[in-house]
Amino acid sequence: MERRSFHEEIARNRRSSILLASTLTVVILALAVTLSYLFAPEALFYILPLTLVFMAIYSYSSYMYGDQVVLSATGATPAEGRDYVYLNDTVEGLSLAAGIPKPKVYVIESDEINAFATGRDPEHASVTVTRGLMRALDRQELEGVVAHEISHIRNRDVTFMTLVAVLVGLAAILSHIILRTYRFRSYAGSRRGGRDKDRGGLGIAILAVGFILAIFAPILTRMVQFAVSRKREFLADASGAELTRYPDGLASALEKIKERNRGDMDVSEAVSHLFIADPNKSALDSLYATHPPIDERIKRLKAM
Amino acid sequence: MWQWILLFAVVIGAAILWAISYYNKIKVLSNRIDEAWSQIDVQLKKRFDLVPNLVETVKGYASHEREIFESIAKARAGMVAGSPQDRMAASDMLTGALGRLFAVAEAYPDLKAAENFKLFQEQLEGIENKIAYARQYYNSSVLNFNNLITTIPGVWFAGGRKPHDFLEIPEESRETPKVEF
Repeated sequence: MERRSFHEEIARNRRSSILLASTLTVVILALAVTLSYLFAPEALFYILPLTLVFMAIYSYSSYMYGDQVVLSATGATPAEGRDYVYLNDTVEGLSLAAGIPKPKVYVIESDEINAFATGRDPEHASVTVTRGLMRALDRQELEGVVAHEISHIRNRDVTFMTLVAVLVGLAAILSHIILRTYRFRSYAGSRRGGRDKDRGGLGIAILAVGFILAIFAPILTRMVQFAVSRKREFLADASGAELTRYPDGLASALEKIKERNRGDMDVSEAVSHLFIADPNKSALDSLYATHPPIDERIKRLKAM
Repeated sequence: MWQWILLFAVVIGAAILWAISYYNKIKVLSNRIDEAWSQIDVQLKKRFDLVPNLVETVKGYASHEREIFESIAKARAGMVAGSPQDRMAASDMLTGALGRLFAVAEAYPDLKAAENFKLFQEQLEGIENKIAYARQYYNSSVLNFNNLITTIPGVWFAGGRKPHDFLEIPEESRETPKVEF
């Protein structure tokens, strides 16, 4: 793999966030246009700015409060007290090595081995690990996992992935509404004798494009999201290993995750991509997997 | 004619922007080194404050290990002044002296069992780890800075800035200390 400093990585991440977010914005706007054409063509000029405002509020609030939502949705509680001294020390040490402020530390009461990082920027970040992880991993493995999460924070992956997840979700909702409407229209239209024909060529073209977009947008945006997410995992593995100078720590933690996790953590799909290993083992095909195959990750770490 | 003036102005403007961006890049990287050092400094101070308490505790049980106390005091005094390299070297000396102190403590079961001695030991271990991590960040910041100001085109904008020194890990601490009983 080509070597880059993490500051370049952050810059790259920022560029691809902007690119991806603007592409998704265009897609969502196109869907909104189609939708307004279907329901109220005359209101088009109100609907466009309204959609933009709605998107801005929606993205901003998930940017600001997303981490709180995720922490409470996963039932994470602050890791304080004597039991967590070593965990807190490890997090503090690795954030020193990464040059970021110490993130807050949380624990989830679960026997599974897992961990995630969240927060919009390093100043508002947190690292969460499961009880099972603290029990099952030795110090070097714990260091490896924490370094992976710290790298996510430092590389601004969390911000990026949260934003993408929000927009992908929005595109999916709009597509869903449009497709439902088409189904209803074609049924109603066959009885009323095609009101859509009155709209002329442009209207039909917009509806056709909107229809195609509505079918493909959810699939495409998801594929992009997952492809990016998998790349980020590999990158966090690599830069985490750079922090600990010991890739085998994370590799052997991943082995343990592979052997012992049952994949029965009750975590919503919306946040599962944040975890170090997929908390829900599902038989989805690799196109839709948020995480690269664990064997491939171990292989790459061992080769470092 | 004025097309040429315009072209000239554009080229000059671009060159100025380029120089500014490099100037800022160098400035940012050099600030990052200062920041990295201040992180180490925080940990060194914590350690500086913790050591006398530890020494007092040990003195209660093993007052005649004078030679070790002296070397600890000497190393500790060196941690407060001088260049980062000097202070780091003093800190490494302290690590060595503390290592000997903990080895000696093995011979005093009462001391080893004392609750606050164990606590000090844990805290010092934690701080030493953090110093190691902070040093790693310092060194990688220095590397980025040195790379920028010693390669083309950065070297043209460095304005005679010298590469910073790394905080080397001393030769003797790389090997595990030998303890004889």
